[in-house]
Amino acid sequence: MANVGIVIVSHSAKVAEGAADMVRQMVGDEVPLAWAGGNSDGGLGTDVGHILAAIDAAWSAAGVAILVDLGGAETNSEMAIEMLDEARQKRIAICNAPIVEGAVIAATEASGGSPLDIVKQTAEELYPQ
Amino acid sequence: MDKETKLKLITACAECMIRHAEELTALDQAIGDGDHGLNMKRGFEALLADATVLSDKPLPDMLKAIGTQLVMKVGGASGPLYGTLFMALAKEIDDTPSLPSASAAFASAIEAVKARGKSELGQKTMLDVLIPVHRVWVTGGGTGLALAAQAAAEATVPMKAIRGRASFLGDRSIGHMDPGARSSQLLIETITTVLGA
Amino acid sequence: MTAHKASASHEETTRGSALLTNAVGLHARPSVKLTQLAKTYQAIVSVATEPTGPWIDAKSPVKIMRVKAPKGTTLYFEASGEDAVSAVAALVDLVERRFDEAEEEGHG
Repeated sequence: MANVGIVIVSHSAKVAEGAADMVRQMVGDEVPLAWAGGNSDGGLGTDVGHILAAIDAAWSAAGVAILVDLGGAETNSEMAIEMLDEARQKRIAICNAPIVEGAVIAATEASGGSPLDIVKQTAEELYPQ
Repeated sequence: MDKETKLKLITACAECMIRHAEELTALDQAIGDGDHGLNMKRGFEALLADATVLSDKPLPDMLKAIGTQLVMKVGGASGPLYGTLFMALAKEIDDTPSLPSASAAFASAIEAVKARGKSELGQKTMLDVLIPVHRVWVTGGGTGLALAAQAAAEATVPMKAIRGRASFLGDRSIGHMDPGARSSQLLIETITTVLGA
Repeated sequence: MTAHKASASHEETTRGSALLTNAVGLHARPSVKLTQLAKTYQAIVSVATEPTGPWIDAKSPVKIMRVKAPKGTTLYFEASGEDAVSAVAALVDLVERRFDEAEEEGHG
């Protein structure tokens, strides 16, 4: 089975892109990866349309793990998930982890072929248990 | 619900949001990031542009399409909240709903908004209009909703914001009407006027 | 540079060790490589910075990233299971190859 894909959602396009660059540099290309950052005006914020596009770009049969920064990124990611068909909805997980380190850890775990629940769990180890 | 009514509803709501965009912006500048008026205007302009197509759909499909458009076009914090409201309403409502069944659908839409925004009554949000209006609906059988909405929106003025951008202002959020409460009030007034309730 | 090659004892555990000689030690990217490599083996693999432990799961990226062992630290490996011998050999080799990193300051 394909590796779980990673989606990075930040209020800042620079942060999202930078985090994605770090993931690629540290983990390599074996994991589908996409990012969404900034609102539709190019300012700080998140956009459901961008998030949907990122989920689509990073889509894998194994599902997608989403890393977010502040509250709005999580809310909009939840909104995006709800707008997808049920089959996809079940295979997306938002991780409660710091966005940059979480993305790197999630991608590391995903690169070994771990399933979505393990990818999420591993990233979430970054926060105190 | 017939096509003409649906078309009237969409048009009237859109015109209302466009007319009040500056007021909503001013409210949002006081306690938010200043984009509520612009966001709602953009979202409802998109609905207006699609009004003919939307009003051709059965009511549930129309509401779902409205919800989706609002999510994608309103943006900010309100896009997902209003989008969720309409999308959830769409799931529960019939094509020709009775007052009680519409009320039940509205109740579940309110729950969906609570979950989306992780908010409750009393935190100075649009819920502080939606919930009281729904209560009046349930007890009063569909009349007095516009008045209830007005009173509820005004009641948000002395509240302290606990959710959203305004919550960072703490006590400074007191003394200003919540912009989401105001836009909800305006929409409820418009809808009840068109439906003659 | 010294490396104690993998040796199978009469118990199931295979042991080995290698000295960190790359500039950043077991920092971010080397941690990722170490865990990715460990995960390709069936064996249970552990790492420690002392020969007696405490032992850390070599397949756990978060735990390995927290070790933060600097250059000059010796990493000790323990593995048990089917491919334990290969696992330890591969990990020792990775450390000895300086994680295939270009040796510049400031690389994570």
